[in-house]
Amino acid sequence: MLHSALVNSPVGAEMVTVLPDVETMITVLYFGLFAMSFDFISGYTGYLSFGHAAFYGTGAYFVVLASNGKIPVLGTGTPFVYLLILAGLAAAVLAVLIGAVSFRLSGVYFAMITLGFSQVLYVFVRDWDYVGSNPRDGPAVLERTEPFSVGVPGVDSLDLAIGQLAGDSIEGFLGFLSFGTTEVSYYMIGLVVLVCYFAMQRIIHSPFGKVLVAIRENEERAEAVGYNTFWYKLGAFAISAFFAAVAGGLFAGFQRSVSPESSFYFLVTGDALLASIIGGFGTLAGPLYGWLFDETVTEFLSKAGEGGGLLPYLRDHLGEATMTTELYNGLTVGQAIDTFLNGHAELYVGVIFVLFVLFVPNGLLGTVRDRLGGPVGKQVAARLRGDE
Amino acid sequence: MTLASTLVNVVVLAGFVDALGQFLRPENLASVFVDGLAKAAIYVMIAGGLTLIFGLMGVLNFAHGSMTMIGAYLGGLLMVFAIGGSTGPGVRLLTFFLALAATFALLAGLGGVVEVGLIRRLYDRPPVYQILLTFGVTLILDELVRIAVLFYGMQPTSDWQAALGTKPSFLAESVDLGLISVSGLSLFEIVVGAATVAGLWAFLTRTRYGLIIRAGSEDAEMTEALGIDVRRVFTVVFALGAGVAGVAGTLLMWDPAWGASVPLAADTLLPAFVVVIIGGLGTFRGTVVAAVIVGMADATTTWWFVNEIDFASLPEMTIFLILVVMLILRPQGLFGVEEVGGH
Repeated sequence: MLHSALVNSPVGAEMVTVLPDVETMITVLYFGLFAMSFDFISGYTGYLSFGHAAFYGTGAYFVVLASNGKIPVLGTGTPFVYLLILAGLAAAVLAVLIGAVSFRLSGVYFAMITLGFSQVLYVFVRDWDYVGSNPRDGPAVLERTEPFSVGVPGVDSLDLAIGQLAGDSIEGFLGFLSFGTTEVSYYMIGLVVLVCYFAMQRIIHSPFGKVLVAIRENEERAEAVGYNTFWYKLGAFAISAFFAAVAGGLFAGFQRSVSPESSFYFLVTGDALLASIIGGFGTLAGPLYGWLFDETVTEFLSKAGEGGGLLPYLRDHLGEATMTTELYNGLTVGQAIDTFLNGHAELYVGVIFVLFVLFVPNGLLGTVRDRLGGPVGKQVAARLRGDE
Repeated sequence: MTLASTLVNVVVLAGFVDALGQFLRPENLASVFVDGLAKAAIYVMIAGGLTLIFGLMGVLNFAHGSMTMIGAYLGGLLMVFAIGGSTGPGVRLLTFFLALAATFALLAGLGGVVEVGLIRRLYDRPPVYQILLTFGVTLILDELVRIAVLFYGMQPTSDWQAALGTKPSFLAESVDLGLISVSGLSLFEIVVGAATVAGLWAFLTRTRYGLIIRAGSEDAEMTEALGIDVRRVFTVVFALGAGVAGVAGTLLMWDPAWGASVPLAADTLLPAFVVVIIGGLGTFRGTVVAAVIVGMADATTTWWFVNEIDFASLPEMTIFLILVVMLILRPQGLFGVEEVGGH
């Protein structure tokens, strides 16, 4: 709604250029959840889980395989919400197995052994013909005809389907609100992400979470105080894997297909790392903002088709004379724009990332918190109440 | 167990025993051994620079794969420029070594700039930040190369095919070594790899600067107290490591299994990590031994994939399994010590 208000305002053309569209926002939500789960283990305990994509991939493949009847006992029509929870549990079991050997190591070695495990899985899935006829490209949902839906299973009115083609749309909700399929997907996926966020938030602020921070700050002292840090780390790893798998399941449920490159590959973990650093390492909500920032930059700089983005904006608003001006050695402005903007957002994301590492080590949310002197919500509430 | 499944098992087992017999025949063992050495040469070259940088500076350089990839493109370009028309195999080989030297120099320059401009600011932060920073550098370098490749239309146009065509013809042919015949390229890779290892070894143990580097990695504070600018030594080592990565890239350019492409960055980075960790982070001797182990495992599993086991990812999976098993059994690696690096 805010989106449409801004787009219809006098600076509409500029707003279309800057704002991401709803479909991008869905990506922001589920990948943001994955980035949060990465931050949950890496940002709070200080153990860099460089193979976190293994759990995201487990969740994504679990949903697709179950929908194709490839997982024993589970039928193709199992409600999506159950699939998400089961995928989460499967990933948690996997995390306990991986963690049991990995947490004997720390620092660079921990990062490398988790990377090793996830690459073994990635390489294995890439050639395992059980998952689909062409495992290198990844499987798609073929058997299941009904759409994936989020809500209370069995109660149709509380159950809304998600997906680009098969999703539900709503006409005249509360008399005046209408949502298309993408908007319904956006709100329903958002709901799951929100629930997961609150759950993780609750855990972080419990005594269990305090021990995790103690481990990050000084593991020897935490141990000396009497905590068995191994079990705390293992528990946190399993919880984190659970939510990573839920994020992967949402991704698979929305896209209805997965590939090894977009799920198990180590650069997927790299993206979560990117989001966490930009958003704020060790702030649970930060990675979501970090990924929003990243996607916004990517979309702003690289979208060549219709809709927003800097490239079409420049093409439309720069005159023909400007576009054909020669810059250097036969390179015109138009060509330069094409060369440096069309599909090369990674470059600018990389530059921003490096600048963040060098100059804003606390990330977006961390820095805002430092300025305000505490979590944003609490500070804003305090200011509003006037008790400064 | 039903009779049918028992029979299937017996047949599978018989096939396996048969394949094992094949594998153990001298000519097969010998060719797997030579293949393994050639692969070891490649692994030691892509991991050598990484271990140098970690050994002295304690920086795990994520941009190492990107530097190898840039080396592959630069080496290819230089050879295309230098060779041009048709020339004899001797001239081509000479051009290769000139391109190798030029790539080394250019990449060393790039490494120096990265160290002075970026990494130097992070020495007093936790080591994780150096991983993060070099990860960001990788993103930037890969995308810059992608822009350049697209802009100059290097791939997949026929221009770039010229770079692959610069390989002297005798490297594509097989050499008869009595019992087995080996591809000329494998022998060439073994020679270049061995020469690089020998060169680095001599530099580190026989020259004065190598002595300073080793002193700096043992005890940076004491070295500083002796009046040596350790910061400058860091820059030199980082440049050296990047240069070696470039040399590795140039070698990969000619190998049909690797070639020059942007994903080469990730494809070389991970094996390099595996080799460096198996050998023990920062020990040059360990890296050489680990490269031989990984190369032999690669060659062996490739043989099994070609002849018996129908699973294309078998060699790659074995490499990562070795990494995981090594980290479980002996986290510090073959020749590693618990505490390494530091500044």
